[in-house]
Amino acid sequence: MDRELMDTENLITDTFTAHEHVAPDADTVFAATRQRIDRRRTVLSRPLAVAAGVVALTLAAVTVVALNRSDSADNAQVGAPPTEAQATGPATDPAAPGLAMPYDLGWLPQGEVDYLVHRINIGGADKDQDKPLYGGEYMLTVTINGQVIDVDVQQFRMVQVDEATFKSGPGSPVTINGQPGVESSVSDGPGGYELYMAHPDGGSMYVNVSPEHGSTAGAQQLTDIGRQIAQNIRFPGTTTVTPTFGLRDLPNGLRICAFDVEKGFGDAASDRAGEAEPRTSYSLGTCDTMPPLHVYVADKDAPAGTAGQPVQGHQTSYADENGYRTLWVLDAVKGAPVAIAGKVPLTDLYDVANHLVLTS
Amino acid sequence: MADYENFVRAQLPRLLRYATMLTGEREQAADLVQDVLVKVYRRWSRISDADHPERYVVRMVTNGYLSWRHSRAARLIAVGDLPDEVRPGDLASEHALREDMWQRLARLPRRQRAVVVLRYYEQSPDSEIADLLGCAQATVRAHAHKALTTLRKGLAIEQQMAKAKEN
Repeated sequence: MDRELMDTENLITDTFTAHEHVAPDADTVFAATRQRIDRRRTVLSRPLAVAAGVVALTLAAVTVVALNRSDSADNAQVGAPPTEAQATGPATDPAAPGLAMPYDLGWLPQGEVDYLVHRINIGGADKDQDKPLYGGEYMLTVTINGQVIDVDVQQFRMVQVDEATFKSGPGSPVTINGQPGVESSVSDGPGGYELYMAHPDGGSMYVNVSPEHGSTAGAQQLTDIGRQIAQNIRFPGTTTVTPTFGLRDLPNGLRICAFDVEKGFGDAASDRAGEAEPRTSYSLGTCDTMPPLHVYVADKDAPAGTAGQPVQGHQTSYADENGYRTLWVLDAVKGAPVAIAGKVPLTDLYDVANHLVLTS
Repeated sequence: MADYENFVRAQLPRLLRYATMLTGEREQAADLVQDVLVKVYRRWSRISDADHPERYVVRMVTNGYLSWRHSRAARLIAVGDLPDEVRPGDLASEHALREDMWQRLARLPRRQRAVVVLRYYEQSPDSEIADLLGCAQATVRAHAHKALTTLRKGLAIEQQMAKAKEN
């Protein structure tokens, strides 16, 4: 090995070592990660069986919920039943209202599907403050004949097709249903097939089909699946997902800035027991900034904490961890507690708890 | 999920350093690792059963970096402050050399940079790098060769220009 090459290699190693201090603080990242997990706790459930050509995500044709930022605060709340919940009485609603997605997936490959759907509406773009940064996202894990494929379909309101960035190269032009797009496919590594296509109302739709580790799905198969999914995206959406609990008439100007409904991804024991329900979470706030409150179905294990005041006939407990407070409404969803958490006063958490819609 | 938290706490410093070397930026490294850890949480029952879950997570970080999309959306979770530009005790010339190299590394294609990070920071053998990236060892060597050629060529030009200025 020549001297110059050795010098270069040593310099590279020294350069990396000298920049270790750039690494973020682990405690800070851990806390931020936990916040994100709080917003999208996992569910323990069986995979959703999907028949050929039928998207099983159309779970319920019920109340359409508007989460657009331009809506009024009242309209932005999840479908409001006529009467307000009583703080001390049991919940009387038969079901939480459905949550609307802004677009539909008209086709998925035949197989078993675990899913996570989001609708996120946090903040506005610099140029157009009324235009939300985020739309909806479907994250699906499809098992086809033992092959596990991850499908991610997102709406990028602020990313145009000509601004698309791929993991490899600039991508190739493609036309999907008359809409211009760019696509990229990598056959020898992670990433799989990626496509950005123009959204009729601006921005773009992103489709990513990739094999999970260990899957042997070929590049052409991923491309075929990705294109067919893209060809069958429908606007506006009529898909609604049924949450395991709802919220109504939120107090103090709070709005739902984001929701997640997740099915699958559970642990093996719970899958076998078939005991789980789709997991639901909400982020609440003014939607101008990062929402300060997170509401989600917590693990069934009895949460540690101090006994609190009853809410809607349910026992509660709460904990305070350096100002980050969590209130658990016990036995709220199929025996599991609903947690309301945030760096806010405990009274604010009770205010939200009194507006939960819990199915009996 | 106590075992998840214990795992994350034990692995996080190393993952963050690794992600920093890949991305070259503190905030991108934090975002990348956060994304991965949320996915790990979702799949923890599968990952924890793996023979070497830490390797699996390193692979996820690597894959995340290679498929990273530079979102124009607002950063949801802001972390930390910017680092100082200069480390105390550095000799100026050595510091300048390393900063120059840091910038050159940032301009490498991602797959080449991943190979360089794995080889010269993680000190991984080519066989492990190939396994991690899902490619042949020959491909790893090719990426490393291209990266080193680019880095050395850049250095050589800079040195020639510096000599010309001196003359």
